[in-house]
Amino acid sequence: MIFSEVPSTNITRVQKIKEFLEKADLEISEDIETFVIAKEDDVIVACGGLSGKVLKNIAIAESVRGEGVALSLMSELLKIAYSLGRDELFLFTKPMYEDVFESCGFKYIEQANHQVILMENRYNIDAYKKRLRKLRQSGDVIGSIVMNANPFTLGHRHLVEQACLRSYWVHLFVVKEDASFFSFEDRYRLICEGLADLKNLTIHEGSDYIISKATFPTYFIKDKRCIDSLYTELDLNIFRNHLAPELGITHRFVGEEPLCVVTNEYNMQMKKILAKPSAFPSIEVIELPRIEYNHEPISASRVRKLMKEGRLEEISHLVPSSTYRLIQTMISTTSH
Amino acid sequence: MSKILEPAHAGTLESSDVFVRVVPSEHAGIEVELESSVSEIYGEAIESLIKATAEAMEANYVRILVQDKGALDYVIKARVQTAILRARGTTNPDWSLLS
Repeated sequence: MIFSEVPSTNITRVQKIKEFLEKADLEISEDIETFVIAKEDDVIVACGGLSGKVLKNIAIAESVRGEGVALSLMSELLKIAYSLGRDELFLFTKPMYEDVFESCGFKYIEQANHQVILMENRYNIDAYKKRLRKLRQSGDVIGSIVMNANPFTLGHRHLVEQACLRSYWVHLFVVKEDASFFSFEDRYRLICEGLADLKNLTIHEGSDYIISKATFPTYFIKDKRCIDSLYTELDLNIFRNHLAPELGITHRFVGEEPLCVVTNEYNMQMKKILAKPSAFPSIEVIELPRIEYNHEPISASRVRKLMKEGRLEEISHLVPSSTYRLIQTMISTTSH
Repeated sequence: MSKILEPAHAGTLESSDVFVRVVPSEHAGIEVELESSVSEIYGEAIESLIKATAEAMEANYVRILVQDKGALDYVIKARVQTAILRARGTTNPDWSLLS
């Protein structure tokens, strides 16, 4: 058996991998950088992919199972990841293969719909939960919001304000993944500045465990414009079963989505999953109506569109002053 | 005494082998994290072998993460030594210290 590395830019070879994965009932991920494949008599018999710090698309052909191929394949994948300095790794697989990857040093975190499980090799989730526990506030209504805020608008501001009014305390998580037009650093700073006057609010830097490429890879594949319901569930299960209990969260606030079908579906699914009977307390989802300017809802995508068109004056009605100042400097530096 | 510089690894996850990772640590000493398919019988023996091997090379401020698949002693020793040498970027080791 011969192992080799295939960069995802090699279209002809990736096509062969795609066909191999389809036979194993797996869809090829669009965000994989490198594949490792094993060949026997010039036919692919095993493969696995690395995407950032996530290992996925791992499959072994029926014909070679039971020969320890999984362990050889994982050795190769781990060598690549470690030599790129990626020590803390996640892995997606089907529930039936949990044991195989456990013997490679990975531990189970969460599952979705009995179809996919997320595992981790360092189990940092325990340390993260411990840190959250210290920020716990006790009260009857503990609200939560997760936002990307790309960038922070008056719409976001309204949502948080309303949540703070209805809760004893609100925990706001800022998506940490740097995969948006505005950097995490900018998004986080604008949120902090735009909400500095709210007293019953903790602003958290996001983590790998809340809307990240590990919990919710499809969220960041923008051109697809489809949010895979399986990963939605995985992300929400982690939120409900791991993060929310540490903070005693009782409610989750989201903006209403009258226009975008995909996000609307996401909100519906969130309501269902967070209320489902389980060993962990249920979380009530509250949808709040969006505020409008000029009869159109204020949203981050609207702001980005106006930026492209250079309509600075209009933007000033949609965002707080700190966001406006940043956009001003961004536009003036690009136009010179 | 001598600090480990870079994270490094050696070995494989295959049966009768061992996968060793060496990562720098903020704490003095040698910390071993072992997972082994034979840990119930040999866990302690393997752990002390790993420690002794690293100590003989004067490793310090280091964490050694080991995934053992039933490797024999000399395999474990060689993998640990290789990982530490790689972590130090040593290409020309003092072979007499590695006996």
